[in-house]
Amino acid sequence: MVALQGTRPFVSGYRPEFGYGPLQSSKLVFARFSVGNNAVKNLGLCRGGDVRLRSSRIIIRQWRSLRRFDQGLLGKDLQMMLGNEKSTNIVWHKSSVDKIDRQELLQQKGCVIWITGLSGSGKSTLACALSRCLHSRGKLTYILDGDNVRHGLNRDLGFKAEDRAENIRRIGEVAKLFADAGVICIASLISPYRKDRDGCRALLPDGDFIEVFMDMPLQVCEARDPKGLYKFARAGKIKGFTGIDDPYEPPLNCEIVLKQKGDNCASPCNMAETVIRYLEEKGYLRA
Amino acid sequence: MNAVGIKPLPGFATLRDGYLPGNAKARSVLRITAADGLQQAVRVDVNGNGKAKLDTLKPNGSPLGSILANGFTSNGKNQSPLSRIGNSTNIKWHECSIDKIDRQNLLNQKGCVIWITGLSGSGKSTVACHLSKILTQMGKLTYILDGDNLRHGLNSDLSFKAEDRAENIRRVGEVAKLFSDAGVICIACLISPYRRDREACRKILPNGDFIEVFMDVPLGVCESRDPKGLYKLARAGKIKGFTGIDDPYEPPVNCEITLKCDNGIYASPSAMAEKVICYLEYNGYLQA
Repeated sequence: MVALQGTRPFVSGYRPEFGYGPLQSSKLVFARFSVGNNAVKNLGLCRGGDVRLRSSRIIIRQWRSLRRFDQGLLGKDLQMMLGNEKSTNIVWHKSSVDKIDRQELLQQKGCVIWITGLSGSGKSTLACALSRCLHSRGKLTYILDGDNVRHGLNRDLGFKAEDRAENIRRIGEVAKLFADAGVICIASLISPYRKDRDGCRALLPDGDFIEVFMDMPLQVCEARDPKGLYKFARAGKIKGFTGIDDPYEPPLNCEIVLKQKGDNCASPCNMAETVIRYLEEKGYLRA
Repeated sequence: MNAVGIKPLPGFATLRDGYLPGNAKARSVLRITAADGLQQAVRVDVNGNGKAKLDTLKPNGSPLGSILANGFTSNGKNQSPLSRIGNSTNIKWHECSIDKIDRQNLLNQKGCVIWITGLSGSGKSTVACHLSKILTQMGKLTYILDGDNLRHGLNSDLSFKAEDRAENIRRVGEVAKLFSDAGVICIACLISPYRRDREACRKILPNGDFIEVFMDVPLGVCESRDPKGLYKLARAGKIKGFTGIDDPYEPPVNCEITLKCDNGIYASPSAMAEKVICYLEYNGYLQA
């Protein structure tokens, strides 16, 4: 397929689906070329333009005029639908050409996997396992771990309610940037309040916010106590610790729930595979 | 040893999943050179079925007790089990086996931050766009952090008073650092008028990964362009503290690249972008 970018008022874009006949209301143009430069020149499609070949794709820039072609004139390799020469400001695709270029380059779609749950529920462990599994499939991921981000961007924030909210807001905004860059961004933080998580969801296009709930009972998390924090909290040395004296509001409508089955907890790799299957089904592991 | 996020010396096999090369001795101490020249002693305990347990060691040979973080080899990452950083108490750095080097190998490039600074209307966003487009065509992953755009999202709670400008730049710097760690060539374009704030961003990145680009365009030229009509508003007194009019711009003293107007004829944005790309190529950022 061809990505076309014109000078104003043409708007750049890309249509993956392809049909026959002129489009009714939108004045969009897209074309499929089977071979390179010569086909373009023979058609006289591009005038005064700057044509670059990249593998089997042609990017045509700054084309100044279009001529209407019937299907029959073009030969069977070529199908085009052309619009009016006075096409104005139509959005072809909800993503910009840049975002699509990045998706094409990475062979994946950016998204945010938001892992939420109590301290010790296994969020960071899952995030690492997921990152490793996706990396072995050639996918680019990046982990935004709540604790790690508090070493840098969010070092000015504490743990009172408004700071937690701001922590989550900033991570949500950064995750959005990563997703826009085409990265599969894995955010792992307790994020105990529903309102804050929903706020992050609202920042992203539909479907790109994938909420994963680590549904582990408090006792299991406390028994693990990987950082010794439950012990401190029970001893009253930490106040407002989630699960002990601050609430955790579980998601009502998340995309994936990972829970304990009976006495056993699935391994991080198995949990990661569950998430990867979801990504595969929804098309995030291809451009 | 990949588990600690550093490259093994030549002659050492990569340690993955705890398995050592066949000739490794039990309880041997190996000295590993990290990617940026730091050295770290690691004790390897090999048990009966060849699995190794790694203990990083302090210089006196006693165990450190925790594995160093990946991605950042210096800048004093806190090595105790729980730490306090700024206002955040009881936080622990979580290591992960996929590090910056793995991502760079995947992308065939090195992450860095190209920080484009200059007066309003000097062409920062224009050059950023051209740079991004050309690098994308070369198969490199880039991302633009535009000061204006970020003020709509992450930095929507900040104004233009001095402390908020500083916080704006600090946050953009931290985000750019994350992108660079992810292996992305991150292009930050913002006026960033104060030298101290830009230097603070430089400090948080590993040596060389902060590439400062100064758009050296005279105020007169910027003002005649006035792409957003802001100079006009500033001259009319409708905007206070506007950089170049009633707020200073401190040009860089030691930046990596200067892009300037020559004799009134300035290079095109594409030519300027090409100059930056040459720098990246020369300094090895366009390969893993």
